Amino acid sequence: MSILDKINNLDRRWIYLLAWVFVLFPLLNPLGLPIPISQDARTWYDYVENEINDGDVVLFTPMYGVSGMPELFPMTVATMKHLMTKDVQIIVVSFWTEGPLVFNTLLTQVDPTDYGYVYGEDWIRLGYVPGSETAMGSFGANIHNTVTADYVEGRSLSSFPIMENVRTGEDIDVIVSFETGTPGTSEWMRQFNAPFGTPQITGCIGVSVSGMIPYLQSGQLQALMPGLTVSAEYEILLDKPGLAVAGVDAVSTSHVYVTLLVILGNIAYFMTKEED
Amino acid sequence: MVDITIWVGVFFTLAIYSILYRENPWFRIAESCYLGVAVGYAVGQDLKYIRDQWGGQWSSSGGMMLLFAIVMIIGLLWYGRFNKNLFYLYRWPLAIVVGTGIGAALRTVIFSQFLAQITSQANTPFFVAGDMMATINNILVQIMVPSVLLYFWFTGEIRESAPMKVVEKIARYTMMAGFGSAYGYTVLTRYSLFIGRSQFLLGIPPNPADARTAFYVIAFIMLATMIGYDMFMKKETPEE
Amino acid sequence: MSDVLRRIEIPIALTIIACLLQVIPYYVEIPALESAANTASNAVLIIVACATFVGVISIVQVHGKRIQRQSEGWYYSILVIGLVVIMALTGLPLPEMGLGVNNSVYNWLFTNVQTPLGGTMYSILAFFITSAAFRAFRARNLEASIVLVAGTIMVMGNAPLLTNYMPFIADISLWIRSYPNLATMRGVMIGAALGSIALAMRTLMGIERGYLRGGGEE
Repeated sequence: MSILDKINNLDRRWIYLLAWVFVLFPLLNPLGLPIPISQDARTWYDYVENEINDGDVVLFTPMYGVSGMPELFPMTVATMKHLMTKDVQIIVVSFWTEGPLVFNTLLTQVDPTDYGYVYGEDWIRLGYVPGSETAMGSFGANIHNTVTADYVEGRSLSSFPIMENVRTGEDIDVIVSFETGTPGTSEWMRQFNAPFGTPQITGCIGVSVSGMIPYLQSGQLQALMPGLTVSAEYEILLDKPGLAVAGVDAVSTSHVYVTLLVILGNIAYFMTKEED
Repeated sequence: MVDITIWVGVFFTLAIYSILYRENPWFRIAESCYLGVAVGYAVGQDLKYIRDQWGGQWSSSGGMMLLFAIVMIIGLLWYGRFNKNLFYLYRWPLAIVVGTGIGAALRTVIFSQFLAQITSQANTPFFVAGDMMATINNILVQIMVPSVLLYFWFTGEIRESAPMKVVEKIARYTMMAGFGSAYGYTVLTRYSLFIGRSQFLLGIPPNPADARTAFYVIAFIMLATMIGYDMFMKKETPEE
Repeated sequence: MSDVLRRIEIPIALTIIACLLQVIPYYVEIPALESAANTASNAVLIIVACATFVGVISIVQVHGKRIQRQSEGWYYSILVIGLVVIMALTGLPLPEMGLGVNNSVYNWLFTNVQTPLGGTMYSILAFFITSAAFRAFRARNLEASIVLVAGTIMVMGNAPLLTNYMPFIADISLWIRSYPNLATMRGVMIGAALGSIALAMRTLMGIERGYLRGGGEE
């Protein structure tokens, strides 16, 4: 069997094994590769820093489950930390079943009391609302009827100072959404941006990025955080390196690996074609 | 002191990855656990919501309580799907949910996904003074977007006409480049997920450090059992 | 009587009423109708939540049959049913009895079983996409070559190692995202919006009945 045939017929388990090597090696031995800051990271940072003002009501929505955590959790944590350095009011809600559990994990890494945030006055958790887009529409129309009790204490929303003047989507100043699919930005656009003109920034997994670009270009979306690499850049801008920075070396090596495989595969293909 | 939760997490992670070697019982165990826990988890969240709703507006008056009872009866009709004679009842809550969903989307889709995009496209200037690159890019966008739209809308014989052949080529090349972009980001997502799990397996902070020991031990056991079994089976059934 | 109740016109009428109840108050200001629409929306959320046991019962039916017949892999079905029942029971909203979303068993199973499994299940696609990139991603013709080149540049553009030393890669990948990708997705979005409106119209007119199929009768 010629070397070309061997390449063309390579057992895929060797490819899998090399993928493990290319990912585990830089995690075990951090390469400290430089991370250039992209426009996406700067736009996100500038928006949170300069456009979200003290006193604003922020709807913080982890719209993902455990399957999206590796890619979205670092940016969720970093953004929450950034928001809490400001004097905003944060309402946490999710329209994904696992959203509350994702936020539970976030609270193991971010303690609001460290930032002087008091539950019920500066921030509140509303939990999960079933119903996807219908739930989002209902939430925008009447928050207190859609979510009757908070997730932590089970008390009526009207008993919390933070919810006193927040009744409908019109009272929300900005949506900060982290998502992996549906319901997501398209639904936010239909249920909040169109009726109330609510500005929004979205952090999403790479697979969803292509679909976000029209919203970004049209100005419906103010900023986009597309995946783990930009999360790492954001962590650097915040001067709070975390999981994203720790993983970005492995992103580099794994992507180099995929690139080399594509090139090698095509070289073998063309050379085999020539021989034939 | 061994933290069982870490070892359980590592075991399930590696059990899923064991499919990369071949189909095996470790993977089947993990798959079964995933299915069971995922389906059961949603029950708690949904029922909590219903109970919280009862504590709100629905118990505020006699009329609302009656309405709540009616809503719950409609909700119970879902279970008609499990009986051949009562299957027609299952369609009623489904129809209400589908109708509400369609209505909620329909009322604003024209603004968010149609008018806003067309407005943005129309507001893209052909010529940007002092910026040749932006001018070229804008002209390209003004050619590519209508081409893609025309490609989707006009199918059949009309595609044989000379202008549509040009439009078709532009649209296909545009979409191929767009799909390439989607592919690139898909690779990022999948590897990000893998890297996240690897960080857990290697005990990289804030993940528990003990996970690394568990990783080495459990990986060795799984590989040894699978490879050992394969070698044993090879011996038992020698190739002719 | 039951023949009348079985008629397909009833769910179609329900769909139309539910849809119009969402659309009309958005454009026409009638306070009573708006209040009814809000109440209806909240009611629908409860109806959706009530369907929670459909999955549980389906799972028990399918896997129960497997156990009964002792089909291939039936012992895994015991695991499935056991975990479904445990999660469903511990998740019942009875905080007075220590059950509900704060129950320790419920949370332990979710945190230590669901979280690693869910996170890992989708990550194995990284390997399959790598294998596919090597075996199937070929420049067979011009169109495939465009996908290949664009895709490879995007992959390289997401690697800080490459973009740091070859910044033009980042510029090109940003261009591909901002122009050809924009054109593709904008075209898809506009087309999908029109398609969804057309589908909604068909549903409102009772022509589209796909969602009502099943049960061996129309």
